[in-house]
This record gives sequence, structure tokens and C-alpha cells, in this order.
Amino acid sequence: MTLTLSDLTRQSGLDVLDHLEMDVAIPVLDGLQAQGDLLIVPLEDLAGAVTVLEWARWRPVPPDGVEVLRGGAGGNPHTLVAEPHTCRWTEDVRDRTGLALGVLWADQPVHLMHPEHGASGIASGAYAIRRQREGRGMTSGSVQRTYVYD
Amino acid sequence: MTHPTPRTRGDQRTAADARLDALDNVRQAIRIRDEWIEQGLCALPADRPAAEAAISELYARVRRPTPRFVWVPSPAAVRDAGASVRQMPPPRYDELPRQRDDWPAASLISALNARLSLRMGEALRLQHQRLSRFLSDPWRREAPEQAVRQGTDVRLVVSEAVIPALARTVRDSLLFPLRDVLGSEAGDPFGYACYGQHSAHQVGEYDIWRRSGLLRLRPEEVEQLEVWMALARSCGWWWPGDDVCVVSERPVDVRSEPAPDGGRRLHSLDGPAVRYADGWGFHAVNGTRVPEWVVTDPTPGRIAAELNIEVRRCAIERMGWDAYIEAAGLRLLSTAPDPGNPASELCLFDLPSHTWGSPARLLVAVNGSLERDGTRRRYGLTVPADLPDPLAAAAWTYGLDSDQYARLQRRT
Repeated sequence: MTLTLSDLTRQSGLDVLDHLEMDVAIPVLDGLQAQGDLLIVPLEDLAGAVTVLEWARWRPVPPDGVEVLRGGAGGNPHTLVAEPHTCRWTEDVRDRTGLALGVLWADQPVHLMHPEHGASGIASGAYAIRRQREGRGMTSGSVQRTYVYD
Repeated sequence: MTHPTPRTRGDQRTAADARLDALDNVRQAIRIRDEWIEQGLCALPADRPAAEAAISELYARVRRPTPRFVWVPSPAAVRDAGASVRQMPPPRYDELPRQRDDWPAASLISALNARLSLRMGEALRLQHQRLSRFLSDPWRREAPEQAVRQGTDVRLVVSEAVIPALARTVRDSLLFPLRDVLGSEAGDPFGYACYGQHSAHQVGEYDIWRRSGLLRLRPEEVEQLEVWMALARSCGWWWPGDDVCVVSERPVDVRSEPAPDGGRRLHSLDGPAVRYADGWGFHAVNGTRVPEWVVTDPTPGRIAAELNIEVRRCAIERMGWDAYIEAAGLRLLSTAPDPGNPASELCLFDLPSHTWGSPARLLVAVNGSLERDGTRRRYGLTVPADLPDPLAAAAWTYGLDSDQYARLQRRT
């Protein structure tokens, strides 16, 4: 079942800015999706780059969601929301690039929400959520890098 | 003062009761923190009678007579308050006269303050030692209520997830920059100052522990703390002289926005972010202290000459990336459709090597979601200089290769 932004705000209690389209169905996708400065990547696409640690502590995504990252200006958070007992989240991961915030494991479709960017629907499966970086220098040599906040 | 009463069911106290109590504790701690943040940012006229009464009380505690009060509009104006009241820093302890009676009032008052900090610091250190753990998960620092609900010790949450925002707001974004500005303008030492509202992070921290019922203080500590708290609630900086005490008003205008940590940070796009009645203050954009030109008249020339990268970024965003690219004459290398972002293009520009200090290119992308005014915001990201095309550059920002990034399904 696909949900709209107004369904999601009602269920999660989270707010989005009122100029976003509230009644358009949010597509539930199983591939790469970007939400501002975050990227949702199927874990299998990152085989070798991102690994969940053996001793990883998984926690169920609570009804009011898991704040994956808080943004810069205005402090708007990206929040992962799911029906009870359908999604687990861990931050105990290793990423070669250091960009992964964590890995989610969804048995049912779940959503990543943001007040300015609306919602991204995520099909069941395992995904890493990575943040975005900037950098200067050469990729072959040393790169001075910083994280992007939108 | 009311301590929250622990919940019980009859004479039973369950784990759920404890959990609910902890949740009350953390919510109250957040409320108290926000009160003190408000005091730190307060731009109302000083409560002069309250400030003078509190300062007189401190003088009495070090057995000195009530000083004469001279009020100035800003900390910078202390220099003009007259040579007779210009304060020298209190001498080092090993240079002080042997008899306390011969010490300057500033030294006695700074010792009084130091003693309170020492006692409080010791109590907090002991408490932290008992916890002997750290908040290892970043989410627990960002979502204090959730952390408590999931069983993290409330004291740990308060010390690592609630209090830091107070220090970042009051100390890091107000006190330190103001001291910096004053130091760079004054040239000569401006003496031992107490910071009134800008010490709200210090007294506020103690008050949070005390009022949320998480730390018991001795009555004499509470009594002294009340005096310093009264000062944080009533005036700006003050300089305790032997005969004269110079006290500054609060600013007349302080503009801020919410910060990611739950505190606030300075932000103003028209005029200074902090302004005192005599015009003294500084500009800030999204929490970064910036020179006035960044807000009033950013130009590519000034941007190129600016050494601080944060300031440069603020200035460019103030101009707008498009305007900056045109005015700075950046060379467009290539463009490509942005996968997952219909009708939007990724543009890759060459940056002159002096722009950011090391070789880099500039990727300009378009936001996936609409702004309130119906436009899509364009934003620039610097990327390493050896990325050949816009797709490879965009992929690099997420640690992917071009083929992977080309499969992006949706961008919001």
C-alpha cells in the first residue's frame, strides 16, 4: 500500500513544511534514492565497501522514529519511520569511505522523512544510509573533506 | 525548590516507574536549559536594582564595602568609563599580598567564583565517575528523550545530550566571539570581568542538575549559586573594582535561529547578529561569525582574499552560487542530466586554484524539492580536481562510482 505525505505525518506525528504536496502518493522504491544530503543505497550495491559489524547492536525503529541525521541550518532532522516491529536500525557499521551513518533492515516498506524534503519510500530489504561529503585536493592523493549539511 | 517525587504504586516501585521518572527528569532538564539559553540571548534592558543588589552581596561576602556603580552601554564602553575605573587583571596568586585584606576586590571575587566552580566540578566529576561510561551512539546525543526511553542513564543523557547545547549557545556563540572582538579592538588588557548573562552556561549547568533533582548541593553552595544566577538573569558583563564597579547593559538586539543540537546559534542577514546600544557587536550567518562585508556587500574579490573557508562559503551563499559563478568568471567544464532529478542538470566548473587553497572543482546541483516560493535552490559543492565529469563528481560526494550513481531513482 502506498502512502501520502499526509498519511505519514499523521502516523508518525512528524511535521513537514506546508508548501510540500501532501496528497501525492510517495513511491516505494528498492533502489538508490537521495534525500537532500543523504543517500539510501541497497546494501548489496555496496558489497565490500560497507559491512555491518558482527557485534552490531540493532534497535527496533520506535513509533516516533529514529533520527538518522540532524541538518545544519534550522536543525531539520532526517527521521526513519516504520510500523512497529517492521524495521531495525544499527549504527555499528564499517564503511571504507566513512560516509555510512548506519544500516536499516526493513521487513515492510518504511519511510525516511524530512521537513523540507518530504518522504522517501523504501521497499523491504537492507540498505545503508550514507551522508554527503565535499572535498578539495586529488582523489588519488589526499583529500581534505567535510560533510555536507543541507 | 521542588524535587520531583519518585513514582510508586502503593509501596511498589517498578522499572517502568523509574523509566517514567527519568523521562520527567530529562524533560525538566531540557526546560531549564532552554530558560538559561533565553537568558544568555536576552536583549532586554538590564535589571539594574537586581544586578546591583547581587554584586553588593558578593562584595559583602568578601568583606568589602558596596562599590559605586557605573553603568555602560556595552562591554566595549568600559574603556571609556574613565581612567580611574580601568581595571587591570588581578595579579597571579603567587604575586598577591600575603594578607587577604590587601587583595584587590577583583581577586577576592574571582577566588569566590573559582571556589564554587571547584566544588561543583568535584561533585559532577564524582557523579560521572560512578557512571564511568560514555554515550557511544551518536543518536543518543541527538535525541535525549529517546535515549532515556531506551534505557540510557538519565544523568549520562543530561550531561552529554542536554547540557552541551547550552554551552555551545552561550559560551561558544556569544561569550567567546565577544571576548575575541573586544580583545582585538582594545589592545590593552581589559581586566578581570564577570560575564553576567554570558555566564548562563556555567550557572545554568549547575541549576539544571540541581532543579531536575539529579544532584544535591550543600545549602551554602545553593546560597552562593543563587547570587551568581541573579546576575546571569539581570545584567551584562561587570568589572569588580575596589571602589567602582563598572556594569554593562545587555545587548539591544540578538538574532538567532535554532541549532542542530537543540540550542540556538546567531544568524542575521540584515545588520549585526548582536548589537549593543552603542553600536558595538558583530555579524554572524548560520552561527559563523563573519565580517560585515559578508552580509552587506560580498564580492568575488573579497571572497578570494578571505582566508577563512567558512566565511568564504557564507559570502558565496549570500551572493548566490549562480551570481558568484558569473561574477567570478568560473569556467564551465561540462554538464550532465541529474539522475533521479528530472529536468535538472549537474554542472562542473573549474575553480581557480587560489579560491579554496587547494586544487578543486565546483559541482553545482539543483535541490530535489521545491522551496516555499516554488523555485528549486541551486547549491555548490567543492570536489577533488581530478574528477573528470559532473556525474563522477556527484557520485564521489556519496562515495559511489558513476555507474552506481547513474542508477539513482529519485531525489527529493
